[in-house]
Amino acid sequence: MLLPAHDYAQPGSLDEALALLNASPATSRAIAGGTDLIYNMRGRLEQPELVVSLRRLPELQGVRQLSDGSLRIGAGERLADLLRNEAVQRWSALAGAIRSVASSHVRNMATLGGNLCLQTRCWYTNQSEEWRAGRGPCLKTGSPDCHALPGVEVCVALNNADLAPLLIAMQATATLASAGGRRELPLEDFYTDDGIAHTVLGPGELLLALTIPPPPGPAVYWKHSSRTGLDFSWGTVGASATMADGRPVALRVVLGSLTTRPLLLDAPVRTILEQGLGDDAIAAAQDALRGELGALTNLYTPAAYKRELARILLKRALLRLRES
Amino acid sequence: MNREMIRLTVNGDPYELLASPRQTLLDVIRGPLGLTGTKEGCTTGSCGVCTVHNASGEAVLSCLTPALEWDGEAVTTIEGLETSGRLDEIQQAFIDHHAVQCGFCTPGVIMSARAVLNEHPSPQMDQINDGMSGVICRCTGHIKVREAIRAVGSKLDRRV
Ligand SMILES: Cc1cc2nc3c(=O)[nH]c(=O)nc-3n(C[C@H](O)[C@H](O)[C@H](O)COP(=O)(O)OP(=O)(O)OC[C@H]3O[C@@H](n4cnc5c(N)ncnc54)[C@H](O)[C@@H]3O)c2cc1C
Ligand code: FES
Ligand code: FES
Repeated sequence: MLLPAHDYAQPGSLDEALALLNASPATSRAIAGGTDLIYNMRGRLEQPELVVSLRRLPELQGVRQLSDGSLRIGAGERLADLLRNEAVQRWSALAGAIRSVASSHVRNMATLGGNLCLQTRCWYTNQSEEWRAGRGPCLKTGSPDCHALPGVEVCVALNNADLAPLLIAMQATATLASAGGRRELPLEDFYTDDGIAHTVLGPGELLLALTIPPPPGPAVYWKHSSRTGLDFSWGTVGASATMADGRPVALRVVLGSLTTRPLLLDAPVRTILEQGLGDDAIAAAQDALRGELGALTNLYTPAAYKRELARILLKRALLRLRES
Repeated sequence: MNREMIRLTVNGDPYELLASPRQTLLDVIRGPLGLTGTKEGCTTGSCGVCTVHNASGEAVLSCLTPALEWDGEAVTTIEGLETSGRLDEIQQAFIDHHAVQCGFCTPGVIMSARAVLNEHPSPQMDQINDGMSGVICRCTGHIKVREAIRAVGSKLDRRV
């Protein structure tokens, strides 16, 4: 089946790309690796009038080590190229997270920016166009109804971007560019609780680069999915800690794929900072998760499963930090 | 909708053709170029039968990428593996190791296997598994395929 009708442009500079997107932001889409956009266009979940290619934009390329040891990675960098980059390889948790995305085939096409901007998904949007037609459209495809969670007014689709949790834990900063200029924000502020406007990208705005400070101590990543290869995650965890005498003195833990935005944990982290990484402290941190998960849905996996998985992901990350 | 003239080098042969934004690389390879060795399966990135190589010899999914993105670039399809009538060693290894049953997945599986060997001439098992995780064979299974890749890899080992 052919893709839906649209115009296509392949600009050679960032300014040109931003001008094209800015001309009709609501009906235009950027394409990077295309592994998400083409999938969604084929299923008629997205039908942009104009697709603007980021493939030949030098401004989105490159990995640079900054003077403070941070890495600045262009949003257009392919995941396969990042895995071959020596600076990335040195940060083994990051390399592991990248390797956990899809398959080598997909990583040979997919980009960092595309991963972080990945559309949210649910079991309804995962169905074919014909199947969905039997139920009618949803919040995402133009009706007031959500089929996944009838009655909700805001789309609750999940954010499955596997790189977001660890990068948030590592305190990455996103640089955004629009026709109006540039801005920077912590990656945790890039995401929202709305499955449709799931990032804060404004009309015609692009993710330009990510800046990741050097890890102050151990960082860990774990992805749980039905198979090691190819599958989207049921849950991920990314964590980064500063250790002193075997105890974390600073800690960030982020859970992914359980909710519409990656969850930067608060109470469990405070528990660990107060009590350390002993078995009792870890159990207390797990209990402290209860108030943080919010309303979990039955998308892909039952809410009760997600609640249990969150506990296990947290424990696994903390045990790994303890062993590191 | 803008149809555009694009230049594509496929298996070393230069082509100029009109492509529409609605066509993927797969559509162009199988349609106007008539190279039907590359198969169309799921068209959503999960089976790998549409695998071709980019100019660096890496496996990419031709069903998930617009043809217009490839203007000026080179790709290799399964038809491009043999040279002057001689099968590529991985193709011969698939025959020798009975790594083919119905054959539908085979072009994509062989292109994926070749890409593993391009990157790792003597691949470890985890490198084979990782490189082959994007393709699915419904009937042969993946054991014979792995044996074929290992055979080519270990031949290289012996040569050095
Ligand atoms: C079979 C299969 C398995 C997959 N498995 C996984 C998985 O395990 N984990 C995972 O995380 N993902 C997975 N994915 C989803 C996807 O392939 C990856 O997330 C990939 O990294 C997306 O990158 P891309 O460059 O191909 O994105 P694209 O498809 O090019 O873009 C994705 C979205 O981001 C927007 N976008 C892209 N770049 C920018 C930018 N610089 N600024 C602003 N917006 C931008 C696009 O407009 C689009 O909406 C899978 C996909 C497939 C087909
Ligand atoms: S047809 Fe391309 S992955 Fe299945
Ligand atoms: S040989 Fe039949 S699907 Fe692989």
